[in-house]
Amino acid sequence: MRKALIFSFLFLLTASLLPAQESMHTVEFQYAGRSVLVPKLGNRVEVIPILALIGAGAEYSLSAGTYVVALGEQRLQFTPGHKLVLANGVLLNTKEAAVPSPGGIAASISFVDQSLLGPLGFRLEPIPQGYRIAPGARFADPVSVRPAAADFAATTTLVLTLDRATAAVAEPAEDGGIVVRFDDSSPRLDPTARLQSRRVRSITSNGREVVIKTSPDIGLLNSHLLDDPPRVIIELGAVIPKPTPAPAQALERSGPPPIVIDPGHGGKDTGAVGGNGLTERDLTMAVAQRLAAELEARGLAVRLTRDDGEGRALTDRTALANRLEAKLFVSLHANASTFSSVRGAETYYMSLDAQATDAAAAATAKLENEAGEASDERSDLDLILWDLAQTSALNESAELAVAVQTRLNALLDLRDRGVKQAPFVVLTGATMPAILVEIGFLSNPAEASRLARPEHQQELARAIATGIEAFLR
Amino acid sequence: MNRRVFWIIAAAGVSLALLVWLLAGPGRRVVNRQEVVEIDALPTPTPAPEQRVMLLFGGSDGMLHPELRSVPMPAEVHERVRMVVLEVLAGPTGDLQPVVPWPAELNVVFVDNKGNAFIDLSAPPEPLTGSHTELLLAYGLVDSILLNCPELTAVQILFGGQEVPTLTGHLDFSRPLVLNKRFIAS
Ligand SMILES: [Zn+2]
Repeated sequence: MRKALIFSFLFLLTASLLPAQESMHTVEFQYAGRSVLVPKLGNRVEVIPILALIGAGAEYSLSAGTYVVALGEQRLQFTPGHKLVLANGVLLNTKEAAVPSPGGIAASISFVDQSLLGPLGFRLEPIPQGYRIAPGARFADPVSVRPAAADFAATTTLVLTLDRATAAVAEPAEDGGIVVRFDDSSPRLDPTARLQSRRVRSITSNGREVVIKTSPDIGLLNSHLLDDPPRVIIELGAVIPKPTPAPAQALERSGPPPIVIDPGHGGKDTGAVGGNGLTERDLTMAVAQRLAAELEARGLAVRLTRDDGEGRALTDRTALANRLEAKLFVSLHANASTFSSVRGAETYYMSLDAQATDAAAAATAKLENEAGEASDERSDLDLILWDLAQTSALNESAELAVAVQTRLNALLDLRDRGVKQAPFVVLTGATMPAILVEIGFLSNPAEASRLARPEHQQELARAIATGIEAFLR
Repeated sequence: MNRRVFWIIAAAGVSLALLVWLLAGPGRRVVNRQEVVEIDALPTPTPAPEQRVMLLFGGSDGMLHPELRSVPMPAEVHERVRMVVLEVLAGPTGDLQPVVPWPAELNVVFVDNKGNAFIDLSAPPEPLTGSHTELLLAYGLVDSILLNCPELTAVQILFGGQEVPTLTGHLDFSRPLVLNKRFIAS
């Protein structure tokens, strides 16, 4: 009996060692005539030896909990357990996360291929004994695309700056606009880029192409590539309009340029809600309608961005103002704070954090493009005019903000929370003086009950209208 | 020799030999031109010296107000960003109010070589409202980080591992934000 127990113990001991040994097997990775056996843990492999094989160093910051992978100028960052990788300044959402392991960090083969080696310009190719690391990005390896635009008298220069060289072709799209096709890369738009142009409505990426929507009758005049840094230069201008009228034509204005009033939020988005049940959505609509009546009584044309109860995307609101070539854009909101004591009205205008540098890049590209041609002087002049236009649009927004805020302070018993600058989504890309007015705090009980009163809504509308009128004079 | 003892010794010897073979055996695969790639050991952390940091929190006037605090500040920028964010998330010690109005966790800190920091917070459990809420949260974090990490130029805040266009429908969170002192009380 005792003997049997000892035997079964020894049998179990050896048997338990076998599967452990089986799961600890290795996978071979080859690169440039060298190879390394990498421990495999379930369906994951140790990452650090693979990176070391291509000469990339991986450093772990213990207190930040982040790995930084460096290869030449390239930098990758990722955090164990989180599905995010920062690849050369571009954020990538990954399907899975890397996990801590005996060797530091382990990840699946697809994570290593797509999220680590891909952004560094390598790809994995299966071979009988494991994988070969090959230089060159696989299709769908990301290329960061940073758009910038410069509007000139008759044309717009659009510059797409790429973070690495790759084949790209710009072509007119079937539905108008332009597509930029990338043969072996997946374009990702740089989220830090701001774009302002009266001839470009939107730039999007579907992962394979960059799609540029243009204003009516604006199309591709020509395009070419520049190196160092790699750029796609696209010239936009008037093209012969297509005979089929776009349904959007119904939206185009007739008559003088209107003032576009944007009642904040709408539809299911109620915005802030006061203790009295008053919603920002309904309040901004009430004040917008009163403001429209005030302005129309002063002989000014007005358009609202939304109907009663109906929602509208933030970017659509500015796009409508641009399309109508609006005189001014005024977005109305009511505020909320975690401090119930905070009250008062504030007026905001846009801050152009990243735009200045992008604008300079676009203008420089136009100069480079035309270097050697006879139009150098004209380009210089265009550049100066364009620069002035940008600065003056911002200065005008600031003037409009001050004019409105002064009336809100003077005509009403509101504490001055002043004029401030911040990058608001709804003001992004507006090509006319544009402001966002916060008419008061719904989180302050006294202010919420006052904002609910029609007489107060009328006072606010009159104050804003007087400010607008003063600015236009 | 007792038969039982003999069997025990024999079995132990066999299993030891088996163990040695198992550990050494499968590694004997021939690999062409294999090189041993040296992996540097993880650096052992040394305690960072304490430094005064300026953290921004909300005041009853609706503006951001500084609170000075001495915390260990590591030399590495990643770690300093993490330290500052954790201190802001921990909240004020005095009369000021937190700028992040839910018990958020800091998931990820990235710093790129253009001076942008990316921080990922756990998402708010329910939708927030008001541009004021959004502005205090954004610049409470962004300005606190940038004032204490002067080598950085901008900070993008992500929520729940995602880039978001906006938090309450006003401020643009889809790109890094630069220092904006207009919300700090003078
Ligand atoms: Zn709002």
